[in-house]
Amino acid sequence: MDYFGQLLANGLVLGAIYALTAVAFTLVYGVVRLVNFAFGELFMLGAFLTTSLMLPEVRLLGTVVPMPGFPLPIAALGAIVVTGIIGVVVDRIAYRPLRNAPRLAPLITSIAVSVVLQSLAQTIWGAEELRFPQFYLATLEPVVLFDSIYLSVMDLVVMATAIVAMLGLSLFIARSSLGRAMRASAEDQTAAMLVGIPVNRVVAAAFAIGSGFAALAGLLYAQTYGFAHSSMGFLPGLKALTAAVLGGIGSVPGAALGGLILGLVEALGAGYLPNGTAWKDAISFVLLVGLLYLRPQGLLGRPELNSAGRGSLLGGASSAGVGWLQAVFARFDALLTRGAAAGTPAAFGLLAVAVVVGLMVPSDYWLRILTMVVIYGMLASGLNVIVGFAGLLDLGFVAFWAVGSYLTSILFVLVLKDGYGIAPQEVWWLLYLNLPLAGLLAAGFAVLLGTPTLKLRGDYLAIMTLGFGEIVRVVAINWMDLTNGPMGIRGIPAPNLFGISLGSPRAQFFFALALAVVVVFAVARLVRSYVGRAWVAIREDEEAAEAMGVPTARYKLYAYAASGFVGGFVGVFYAHSQQYISPLNFSLFENILLLMLVVLGGLGTFIGPFVGALIWIAFLQLALDLPFVQAYPETRFALLGVVLIVLMVFRPQGLAASARVGLTMPGARAKEAA
Amino acid sequence: MTQTGPIVHPTLHAERPVEPLLKVSGLSVAYGRIRAVDGVDLAVEPGRIVSLVGSNGAGKTTTLMALSGLLPLAAGKVEFAGEDITGLAPELRVGRGIAHVPERRRVFAGMSVRENLVLGAYSRGDAIEIAGDIERLTALFPILGKRMHQAAGTLSGGEQQMLAIARGLMSRPQLLIMDEPTMGLAPQMIDLILDTVLEIRKLGTTVLLVEQNAVEAIRLSDHVYIMRLGRIVHEDGGANIDPERVKAFYMGVDA
Repeated sequence: MDYFGQLLANGLVLGAIYALTAVAFTLVYGVVRLVNFAFGELFMLGAFLTTSLMLPEVRLLGTVVPMPGFPLPIAALGAIVVTGIIGVVVDRIAYRPLRNAPRLAPLITSIAVSVVLQSLAQTIWGAEELRFPQFYLATLEPVVLFDSIYLSVMDLVVMATAIVAMLGLSLFIARSSLGRAMRASAEDQTAAMLVGIPVNRVVAAAFAIGSGFAALAGLLYAQTYGFAHSSMGFLPGLKALTAAVLGGIGSVPGAALGGLILGLVEALGAGYLPNGTAWKDAISFVLLVGLLYLRPQGLLGRPELNSAGRGSLLGGASSAGVGWLQAVFARFDALLTRGAAAGTPAAFGLLAVAVVVGLMVPSDYWLRILTMVVIYGMLASGLNVIVGFAGLLDLGFVAFWAVGSYLTSILFVLVLKDGYGIAPQEVWWLLYLNLPLAGLLAAGFAVLLGTPTLKLRGDYLAIMTLGFGEIVRVVAINWMDLTNGPMGIRGIPAPNLFGISLGSPRAQFFFALALAVVVVFAVARLVRSYVGRAWVAIREDEEAAEAMGVPTARYKLYAYAASGFVGGFVGVFYAHSQQYISPLNFSLFENILLLMLVVLGGLGTFIGPFVGALIWIAFLQLALDLPFVQAYPETRFALLGVVLIVLMVFRPQGLAASARVGLTMPGARAKEAA
Repeated sequence: MTQTGPIVHPTLHAERPVEPLLKVSGLSVAYGRIRAVDGVDLAVEPGRIVSLVGSNGAGKTTTLMALSGLLPLAAGKVEFAGEDITGLAPELRVGRGIAHVPERRRVFAGMSVRENLVLGAYSRGDAIEIAGDIERLTALFPILGKRMHQAAGTLSGGEQQMLAIARGLMSRPQLLIMDEPTMGLAPQMIDLILDTVLEIRKLGTTVLLVEQNAVEAIRLSDHVYIMRLGRIVHEDGGANIDPERVKAFYMGVDA
């Protein structure tokens, strides 16, 4: 009973925090149908601002700045207001221009905003934890319930605050004029404008309130666990999104219920399951995946929200913004279109250039970097199959990559070398067997994971695949016997052919290039076949494709399988090239990075993933020469985020939009020209 | 009440001495490279019912959406009550006195009838008079009084249309724009709605009406504009237009 009571208390506190953050997701999703991934980072800002305002002084950008040292309530209020304003500014810059854009665009900008805010916070407050200061309420004696449950006064304050805030919000939405206007805008924005509701301002208000809730949750979290850190918002943000989906996104009571359930399940799971604390993150995501499979609209949600789609992910281009910028994008687009039209000769030309570069580059350092470009380009190609060609947003792609890397590493190191004492050189051929084997295994995984997602669309699909990716990562960390856990696997042998080591950077580059030829050739063959045409049909309009007799479920699974195959295939080479892997290599951030690379280079084109990888990795290296970046290396990620936001705002259909269409339907362009 | 002949106000119909409430000149709207509306001129005098008729795809709804600011203009000018409102945001036009009852009604389905009506008065500052206005409108549409606390989505099509009109009137507009108010309704309901249009004019509100049902629209209008392929091809007083000629326009034959 003691133990249970304590777990219950922990669960309620955690649940209150999740519920408050879930309200932010639900409120904004309800009004504009946008999953604002950046709420996790607004949560983090709320924690940092409160902590800073309460301290007498804080180190900002490396210099000590005097701070007012406010008591908690005043600091909290200040943090909530400031975060609310930041939320409104983010909406104005990154989301409002995209209200009528293809659905992928605001999702990408919201992820980019997350990256920007997180790396800015790390730049400003540093990579260390900022400790939450002592204050009066925290020093009071805990309250004892039933002689066994110890609740600190602050735990009670957290729960009371959550209850008051959510009841207040529900009343506000039900009764106030602005609340009514929010509900009207959620139902029909055009009709709302026609009765005189300033929809943009109503949406800004929803962002302000949502951001304020996220900040409140963040500061309560910082208070409960005693610190603020730039990456602290990531997991609670995902959990809160899970809670919002669990309860039925768009419903405030649903968010409260979802948060409560998640908090309790996590606390009780951590306490009662064997090794529960390690697995508690997986519990939430298993719950999410299971629920999305059985009841996609969530516990209290309305079914129609699941479709969550005004049309396709990429289609329906609408361009806005400055003339010269549009002209630049149009020129780039035309260039890509011409490249795509040139087809095979152009591909051979590029390959020749790559070979010459590989032969000419003198330094091992740059050869290693170029090898990374090719690896990331191949991985991005794998992701491109599912996102760019089939139009399904997949945030769990890294899992397939991880499967390939772990398969070969476990076989070579843990089984053969450590288990049977067989030297890797004796079984060099296993690498070549592992390439297709890992591909098949990952493809099998992909189909397994893809099957429950077939019913889902758009944002929900993204959330579910994200859940899968996280589950795989948690498994990689915690299944010590299989994966060596967080220590990772060391001493993976370099590639070897007939006893000749291919470990030199130049040999590795050409190895990677050879694999890239295989990958691009295979993807191109698939995309140009009837399978590819079915994918494009699904991407452009799933309902129409279904009405035309395309068995969408089957072709979606093919897309998952093809994407998974590439992930596993490349993963094998990645492990042998790095010679060391750990679960950290396969985080959600890597998946987001790959997605950004594909978007940067041009979704749904063959060359795009490589262009994106080249731009990004070259930029990473060149930026190291800038003095500002040398002082604050995290700002590189912020810059990538800014580039993506600008790209999406001014070119929401992405680069290479016309090349994308031309690739699979060459006839369409010829007709347009005529 | 059923109207038999065309309704003509002799004084208003004479020589157009009155300054128009709404004046549209050279209005053009483009969807990409296609000009859906091309150089439309319209004038709506106060106290009149003016209708815009034409076949599918003639650009009627596009014209109305441009008038209330939902679509950007490629060219042209919109003046209301002597002021240029061309670039004004749609939500601000309601405050100036233009209410638009959109095509397919678009009531807020998840909200109650009463909430829909209250939202109709969003642009008004005088919260006290809202209750009185709701009462007056339930006199005009008694059925809405009975459904006051029901979700709007549970109403029948005709009742939803009445709600949409009532919601538009809640802003106390000088001009009520109605887009296909009889679309998809039963015949008795159509008569009822068209009678209401006359009633609204009697109460002092000017009406700009778009109707597929050209014969009925011509019968109750003071002035009629006929659109084809994005242009005004003919205009005249409602009494002077022969419905048979309009049919010819519909069929795509020049009369």
